[in-house]
Amino acid sequence: MEMLEIKNLHAGIEGKEILKGVDLSVGKGTVHAIMGPNGAGKSTLSGVLTGRPDYKVTGGSAFYNGKDLLSMSPEERSWAGLFLSFQYPIEIPGVSITNFMKSAVNARRKALGLPELKPAEFLRLLREKMAFVQMKSEFAKRDVNVGFSGGEKKRNEIFQMAMLEPSLAILDETDSGLDVDALKIVADGVNALRNSERSFIIITHYQKLLEYIRPDVVHVLKEGRIVMTGGPELADKIWKEGFESING
Amino acid sequence: MDDFLKDITAQEYKEGFVTEIEQDYVPAGLNEDIIRTISAIKKEPQWLLDFRLDAFRKWQNMKEPRWGHLDMPEIDYQNIIYYAAPKKDSDRPSEIDPALMETFDKLGIPLNEREALAGVRPKEDRQVAVDAVFDSVSVKTTFRKALADKGIIFCSFSEAVQEHPDLVRKYLASVVPSGDNFFAALNSAVFSDGSFCYIPKGVKCPMDLSSYFRINASGTGQFERTLIIADEGSQLSYMEGCTAPMRDENQLHAAVVEIIVEKDADVRYSTVQNWYPGDAQGRGGILNLVTKRGICRGEGAHLSWTQVETGSAITWKYPSTILKGDYSTSEFYSVALTNNYQQADTGTKMIHIGRGTRSRIVSKGISAGHSQNSYRGLVRMNPGAKGARNYSQCDSLLIGPLCGAHTFPVIRNGCPSAIVEHEATTSKISEDQMFYCGQRGIPPEEAVGLIVNGYAREVLSRLPMEFAVEAQKLLSVSLEGAIG
Amino acid sequence: MDKVFVIGRDAVPERVHLQAGEKLRWTLLYDDSLCDSSAVAVRTEIELCGPGADADIAGLYLCRGDSVIDFDITVRHSSGGCTSRQLFKGMAGGNSKAGFDGLIYVAPDAQKTKAFQENHTILLSDTAHIRTQPQLEIYADDVECSHGATTGYLNPDEQFYMRSRGIPEDEARRLQILSFISPILQRLPEETAREIEDSL
Repeated sequence: MEMLEIKNLHAGIEGKEILKGVDLSVGKGTVHAIMGPNGAGKSTLSGVLTGRPDYKVTGGSAFYNGKDLLSMSPEERSWAGLFLSFQYPIEIPGVSITNFMKSAVNARRKALGLPELKPAEFLRLLREKMAFVQMKSEFAKRDVNVGFSGGEKKRNEIFQMAMLEPSLAILDETDSGLDVDALKIVADGVNALRNSERSFIIITHYQKLLEYIRPDVVHVLKEGRIVMTGGPELADKIWKEGFESING
Repeated sequence: MDDFLKDITAQEYKEGFVTEIEQDYVPAGLNEDIIRTISAIKKEPQWLLDFRLDAFRKWQNMKEPRWGHLDMPEIDYQNIIYYAAPKKDSDRPSEIDPALMETFDKLGIPLNEREALAGVRPKEDRQVAVDAVFDSVSVKTTFRKALADKGIIFCSFSEAVQEHPDLVRKYLASVVPSGDNFFAALNSAVFSDGSFCYIPKGVKCPMDLSSYFRINASGTGQFERTLIIADEGSQLSYMEGCTAPMRDENQLHAAVVEIIVEKDADVRYSTVQNWYPGDAQGRGGILNLVTKRGICRGEGAHLSWTQVETGSAITWKYPSTILKGDYSTSEFYSVALTNNYQQADTGTKMIHIGRGTRSRIVSKGISAGHSQNSYRGLVRMNPGAKGARNYSQCDSLLIGPLCGAHTFPVIRNGCPSAIVEHEATTSKISEDQMFYCGQRGIPPEEAVGLIVNGYAREVLSRLPMEFAVEAQKLLSVSLEGAIG
Repeated sequence: MDKVFVIGRDAVPERVHLQAGEKLRWTLLYDDSLCDSSAVAVRTEIELCGPGADADIAGLYLCRGDSVIDFDITVRHSSGGCTSRQLFKGMAGGNSKAGFDGLIYVAPDAQKTKAFQENHTILLSDTAHIRTQPQLEIYADDVECSHGATTGYLNPDEQFYMRSRGIPEDEARRLQILSFISPILQRLPEETAREIEDSL
């Protein structure tokens, strides 16, 4: 059984169908890249998988470790190990990163039947993971994403991923708006988190990020369907020839 | 988000218990005899009885104010007991009934100084002196002696009348005249107890002072009077808390707080108002109709109001400051949360009289369920308030489609060198924020608590530490049921 | 419904109902030097009754003598999906009294309302008085509503800047006032705008 099994998934927003029968399998410990032109349905796919309320599923199925993903609430999916690095991270004024992560980590532990972390344990974990993404410790006191630069927001997403240790992380356009240095920090973070148990879906418009994070499998999403699947070389081909060269 | 917006479940109000204790009552009803009886029980001097009777006559010619954005139930003033006090053991009149000790203990208000001093409770790492008022009487005022060593007077209002009549007579009704408004007049006629505090010149109060008001008896109202005087150059942080049992009847709480801040003195007054709010169907709850006002009398005086209002069926309350001294300053920081059928009409008045006076208003309203939440404020710049400034920010957060959030500020400017700025916004918790929290594993109810606490952060951070923690919990608890 | 009302000359309708998709653009002008009566009250209620209705109301009040002006403007969002903007700017000198009451009312279920209101005033004399009362009364949650109000005086830094460039004090003041009222001046017919400019 694959970790994630998506069959003939149809979904849309406000009555408009965007995903028109997506099939995708992601095995344990693999890195999949999903590339595609604007409007292909990349963000819809990440939204549907994580349970964004404005997206409506109209057909098909998605199973995650054998569980029906589509019937679960966003937080249940999170507890099951699904993580989304948002393309546009959300601001929560007045809530510090520390408090936000404390709530997240402990809600998850509670759901998994584990005791809450003691404050000292939590702070140790927080510091360790902040160092991991090269965030300064003052950062933890700042309000979640409020007044962050584009790079800081994305780094904050990777930091949260490191805190929550998901089994499947979806990175939605994490490279957009990043300069090369920030891109490298993000990529280093992801690479360090790669292991035989953890999988990634990297959604991107460009192949730049894929030079730093080499995927095992590359898919091309076009007009709501996966039209081609190949190895890392497919990303290079797209980079050279553009999406127009891909015909499903 | 509408999918999980419901408002059915009852709130958890853990302070809603009743203390079984024998009480002395005066008969229900209001007339001159009742007032004479209350005054006699308290062995008051003639001038104070005259003050009460004068206020009562004014009150008889006044009408209940109806300008609030409130649906007020009919109050039958002849059906209220105006004085109720726990019976004293005639053999040991100076001892506090163990049932009362236990009650305040349960409410987290230690009346035992030794215990508080020895730090038996981990949260008492900072000392707080408390005047504990149970229905119509002050049960105990802690740390009186330690404070007296610094010349600070902290005692119940009744004791102050006996022991410091000159001070009381000088300042009583000097900020809130007895005929100021309907409820202030009522209070002036029938007030029973409350706290009195005098900080002498140049003294920095070594600990936070506090009043804790507890309504217990059924059929009664609470009419306490607080008088705080901060003499020149003194400093004080004052906290006020309150709770009441859960009952199907409405109970009236009509208090008056007066604060006098002299030259260069600094007073910070914080309230966490947690009166019983009524049940999820809007039955019962306290009618909290309160007049709070301070005056910055001298140059450079500073008065700051911070309030977290989560309780009461109805809140009608406008802690205000008269900025008389030149360059005096004042702030009003408020969080008012209403859920179920609660109604709040609260805000402030900043009256600028002196030159270079400054004030700042930050109000955060949160409405959920079927509740109505209004900010009402007045900023007045008198012609002499040269160079005065005010800045106000009033935000409203709506949780669910059935509640209301309203903003009614008034600005009056008669001074061409004054500046007043007011901004107000209305918003709801965004679906994006909820989804972001959910994706990180935070369930909806907890996410709302987190977001609301974040929204109120600017105000909560003004509270003394132990109060801030309590206020945060209270905000989350009070929202229970707002999201199902 | 693009209309300019000169208070004292044109009557402002007391009630207007906007149906779905209808748009209203009003500019109210009160200039006490143009108006015979010294005490004027302008009261109007604009109700947005169908989705897509839009109200854009601006007002300018210039009070320099002994005049008393009171605006009482209600914008009632009875239907969801409507937008409204109010921008009122006033100046009070002499012995004048200028009052502005503005209410944004959002009815239950009038979701997706966008309503904004601003009132900015300048007090020019010790004996004039400004009162402003911007109000929000909101019974729906999925709305974007705000109001802002300021009252103050002409910025002395700006004045000094202009004077240091050789602009005489009176002219500097005139320019400042002009810049303050220009967002509304622009909505007036050229001739009226010029008249006001000249009168400053």
